[in-house]
Amino acid sequence: MSEGNLLHNSRLAERAHRVRHNAITMAEVHGQGYVAQALGVADVLSVAYLHAMRIRPDQPEWEDRDRFLLSVGHYGIAHYAILTEAGYLPESELVTYGCDDSRLPMSGMASYTPGAEMSGGSIGLGLPMAVGMGLGLKRKKSSSFVYTLMGDGELAEGPTWEAAISASHYKLDNIIALVDFNKVQADGPSPTIMSTEPLVAKFEAFGFYVQRVDGNDLPALVKAFDNAREHPEPKPRIIICDTKMGCGVDFLEAREKNHFIRLEPDEWKRAYEALEARRPA
Amino acid sequence: MNTNVQEPTVKSSAPAPSMPAIIASSVDEGHRTKAAPFGHALVELGRTRPEIVGMSADLAKYTDIHIFAQAYPDRFYQMGMSEQLMATAAGGLAKEGFIPFATTYATFAARRCYDFISQGVAEQDANVKFVGGLPGLTTGYGPSHQATDDLAIFRAMPNITVIDPCDALDVEQMVTAVADHHGPVYMRMLRGAVPLVLDEYNYRFELGKAALLRGGRDVLVISTGFMTMRALDAAKDLQKDGVDVAVLHVPTVKPLDEVTILREAARTGRLVVVAENHTIVGGLGEAVAGCLLRGGVAPAFRQIALPDRFLSAGSLPVLQDRYGISRKAVIDRIKCWL
Ligand SMILES: Cc1ncc(C[n+]2csc(CCOP(=O)(O)OP(=O)(O)O)c2C)c(N)n1
Ligand SMILES: [Mg+2]
Repeated sequence: MSEGNLLHNSRLAERAHRVRHNAITMAEVHGQGYVAQALGVADVLSVAYLHAMRIRPDQPEWEDRDRFLLSVGHYGIAHYAILTEAGYLPESELVTYGCDDSRLPMSGMASYTPGAEMSGGSIGLGLPMAVGMGLGLKRKKSSSFVYTLMGDGELAEGPTWEAAISASHYKLDNIIALVDFNKVQADGPSPTIMSTEPLVAKFEAFGFYVQRVDGNDLPALVKAFDNAREHPEPKPRIIICDTKMGCGVDFLEAREKNHFIRLEPDEWKRAYEALEARRPA
Repeated sequence: MNTNVQEPTVKSSAPAPSMPAIIASSVDEGHRTKAAPFGHALVELGRTRPEIVGMSADLAKYTDIHIFAQAYPDRFYQMGMSEQLMATAAGGLAKEGFIPFATTYATFAARRCYDFISQGVAEQDANVKFVGGLPGLTTGYGPSHQATDDLAIFRAMPNITVIDPCDALDVEQMVTAVADHHGPVYMRMLRGAVPLVLDEYNYRFELGKAALLRGGRDVLVISTGFMTMRALDAAKDLQKDGVDVAVLHVPTVKPLDEVTILREAARTGRLVVVAENHTIVGGLGEAVAGCLLRGGVAPAFRQIALPDRFLSAGSLPVLQDRYGISRKAVIDRIKCWL
């Protein structure tokens, strides 16, 4: 790896750390929330927003931006964490997360937050909407990409697969789908609730350019996002990211029931300390 | 089944504005509660009815049916996050002689599954019981989870029975009643710590029947769901101001007990107020209005319902107050209409 790349990756690590810090700040407001997802997906979002995507945070509706659709609305906390680090939102607003009349509702909605492009609380709309935007962008001869972040539990929703068929039929090579494969969904571990494996083979059979990476390995993610953008075949792209729930805070990583986490008041201090202990050098 | 009744908690101060949005509860201070009445009632019923099976679409823990799943693991089908599949597969199980109780949130049952329930279940008279959590405005999570339109949606579907429980007692008794009724049912459900109020009113849930819970000279509130609890609370408060409020509970929204509604509304001199935890469009209010007009009964008529718009996200008590379905809002509005 070149020195420039090393520097870039270590800077990304520093920023992903701040994204995690932002997420804990928000969760602490309520003493609970989808904080384990936010910690797990922080690296994926950091590489998306801070490495791969063409954006102007001070101009969220800039026509030539890459689009980002948060299909899993409950990941709003993760989204606000990265939108803050990327410069769309002031850090001071984080503590309003989920409060009355905040711009940061618990479930991400397009009309509330600068940089939010879809309302996703009813899960399974991300890839279908990406198909429409992908078609629209091609129609406008735009070179922008549409990213959409899905959960692994979400993959059981039928519309996702209708969209997958269509994305491939229309050769939507401007779609880069992301799956946060954290092996957890609402009722428990995804493999026991509804197994979606073998996922790589499924998406390949549906006509996608598929990569599967360790979603908490920044250099691997950087490479995967680069590949996705540069891949020559006219196919929709998908990066399946195997992530660890609670990543970066050891006692949350170890927690079994983590789809929706409650912490005692004194545990938040421990969470900050645990995160600090793993701060990148 | 009167175990696990919780005594009311001590009166607390006004809810903090940062109260978590996702925690759904319609419990006001001062009410006793009962834990997971739906789950426990279904387990009880399952003991003698082997044809009853449970289903959920990755929301078992959040709709109290996990209790049934734990009691009868081999009679519970976890369908994953596939509501449309669950709805249609429930139709399939019913065709094979089983009685599926299928749970998800009310929004997903109503909005996402409509066609699947209409064609896969209702048109074929399949014996499926859909159970919708978070009815109306019982979460501050935003429009995706606020089922403000489910009664209107299911009222428009032929051949399906639509019910909305007031409290834990209603929920428990509905479970048995809908299992005894052959045909598709959509049941709104209250989960977690559910208020218990109707045991003080010599009440029993009867499918298709409205129940007069208290008489009153000045106002007749016709209500469904937990708005009946609000109406009863409001009636007690208004009594102190010398306002006499009758409450007619209408847990079965479809088919509507038109006979009882017409009889009560025809008693002259009372303001009729229909109260529901639902948009003003297409719910109990419009159903009652149509019934009254067709029946030639025209009292002074008002509606307490949610506005016809996508509601905000935020904390539940603040939102229920803002949109007019808190106890205080109900009292204020009845007073200003008198
Ligand atoms: C259509 C729909 N069904 C159900 C839900 C409720 N729900 C919210 S998150 C979730 C689990 C999603 O699993 P996954 O995509 O893996 O997200 P994670 O558990 O990792 O946060 C469910 C069932 C929903 N929001 N939308
Ligand atoms: Mg998951």
